[in-house]
Amino acid sequence: MKYFVFRNFTIEPFFKGMNVEFSGYEDVSRFDETADRFIWFYLPSCKCDDETVANEIENYGRMLDWVSGQTDKMLLVFTMERIFKENFQIIDDRVDRAIRVYNDKIRQFSNRKAGVKLVDISDFYQGFSRSDLIDWKYYYISQMPLNPKLAGSFREWFQRQVETIEQKRKKCIVLDLDNTLWGGVLGEDGIEGIQLGEDYPGCCYRFFQEYLLELGRNGIILTVCSKNNEVDVLSAWNDHPEMVLRKEHFVAWRINWKNKADNIKEIATELNIGLDSIVFVDDNPTERELVKQLLPTVSVPDFPGNPYLFSPFSCFLTRNYFRAYRLTEEDTTKVKQYKDNVERVRSRGQFVDFESYLKSLEIELSIELMDEFNIVRMAQMTQKTNQFNLTTRRYTETDIREFVTNGGRVWGLRVKDRFGDNGLTGLMIVTINQGEAMIDSLLLSCRILGKNIEDIFVRYTLSLLKLEGIRTIHAMYIPTVKNGQVKDFYDKIGLRLVENKEGTCYYSGDLSELNLSLSKIYKLKNNER
Amino acid sequence: MKDRIKEVLKKVFELDEVHDNISQTTCAKWDSLNHLNLIVELEDEFNVSFEPEDIAEMKSLDIIEAKLNRLV
Repeated sequence: MKYFVFRNFTIEPFFKGMNVEFSGYEDVSRFDETADRFIWFYLPSCKCDDETVANEIENYGRMLDWVSGQTDKMLLVFTMERIFKENFQIIDDRVDRAIRVYNDKIRQFSNRKAGVKLVDISDFYQGFSRSDLIDWKYYYISQMPLNPKLAGSFREWFQRQVETIEQKRKKCIVLDLDNTLWGGVLGEDGIEGIQLGEDYPGCCYRFFQEYLLELGRNGIILTVCSKNNEVDVLSAWNDHPEMVLRKEHFVAWRINWKNKADNIKEIATELNIGLDSIVFVDDNPTERELVKQLLPTVSVPDFPGNPYLFSPFSCFLTRNYFRAYRLTEEDTTKVKQYKDNVERVRSRGQFVDFESYLKSLEIELSIELMDEFNIVRMAQMTQKTNQFNLTTRRYTETDIREFVTNGGRVWGLRVKDRFGDNGLTGLMIVTINQGEAMIDSLLLSCRILGKNIEDIFVRYTLSLLKLEGIRTIHAMYIPTVKNGQVKDFYDKIGLRLVENKEGTCYYSGDLSELNLSLSKIYKLKNNER
Repeated sequence: MKDRIKEVLKKVFELDEVHDNISQTTCAKWDSLNHLNLIVELEDEFNVSFEPEDIAEMKSLDIIEAKLNRLV
């Protein structure tokens, strides 16, 4: 990944170790087309004359206008904060105002253009005292308004920002109960005896529950793994007057005396998510150690030593695991979807045969082409989908846009049934070259698997290609540790295996010979354009 | 002392081996930007703060050692 950085001061040490090139100071004339991503990182100068500083900032804004219009590639734009303040009059806010306008502009850009990503510098600054942010010696000998001694922390922080932008956040939190969601031990102290409520330390646990509720609203799946009697917990959830998180907030739970590593594995299977999407929170260091040892891909943060440290602990959880750059509609409704799924699995038991079960779901599929509304979600799906993913190619919004520009097709699939709307949960990218089509990517979110939806999605899109006059279709399967379940997918569709090169299977087929008839079980809508 | 300075030089300039006579004129990677990185790392390693006049002069292992000897 190559970066090109627009800057107005010496900031090289902050990006050391990355593949990066720098513009001249305040130079926007040169545009490195070979870069994959651009960074805009301007700092306010430390001059005495506020009028000059404010004018400079206004000018930076205009330069940014121009730069952002030059590219559709990802542009990471740093907000600005004032480090040095001279103010001869307390009420004079010329510079602050200029910075506010500048930051507002960045926010608007990032809302309007999918490629522009805001990087909030104040999030980095808040870890340091004002006086640490600048070392005047380096400012004067090397033109550095930001202390080079912070470079190491900056790189770590910036890496996390990039990961957040790339949507690499965790999906699920597994919580212990006793001394984690409330103080004390439910089995010994009883409902009346546990600490939860207005007084210390009950108020700290209450805070933590409120934080978790907020996590749930932000699309993180809340689950429980606790050594307790399930009946005790169910009645505490139901009857404790101060309980914030109740039964309906948890998508799954394992309340038993079995070992927690096995329980967590079961939860992952039930939700159909990977262990590396899970964060495990438990006050007991032995349990944490066990999970670390047996399930090394699960994230296990240290638990705070005192209940009054839940606030910084919550900040830590958000910053390290759960922060999203921007939530899509799918993210925020995900918890409901996972719950709906559990319902679906339950109702499955009532039917004799699979087909009548599928019929009863009243599944509605709709297919749409890429547009400005679904592109964020599409890129996100390529980043996050591991199991039903034939090639596991990760794409940015810019990459996806390029497929369309180059004459390819990018189809999204929405799935609805009588239990709820799953949103955009399928994606197929097809490139077209000299009348022959190639499936570059095919993926479905695990939420909708098990209903043969993948089958109809592919048959339908292929029939659309056939209608356009395309005859030959190529496809491939690239194996990963996680996508074994789709190994034979193209064989089942009826494509011919052409070559198997170290596990990567190449297929092709003739669209006029393939069976593209669609099952009548599903209601199908074409929402192209 | 000398060995510790050499370790810093190795790290900043990404070298496998550092000779006793290393200086800005003999080392291609010792440009002005890396000089700055070097000063930052030395200040960190020895917990000292150099004056700008010293920083401008510290362009060989010998001089760095001499300046450090006066400070620690």
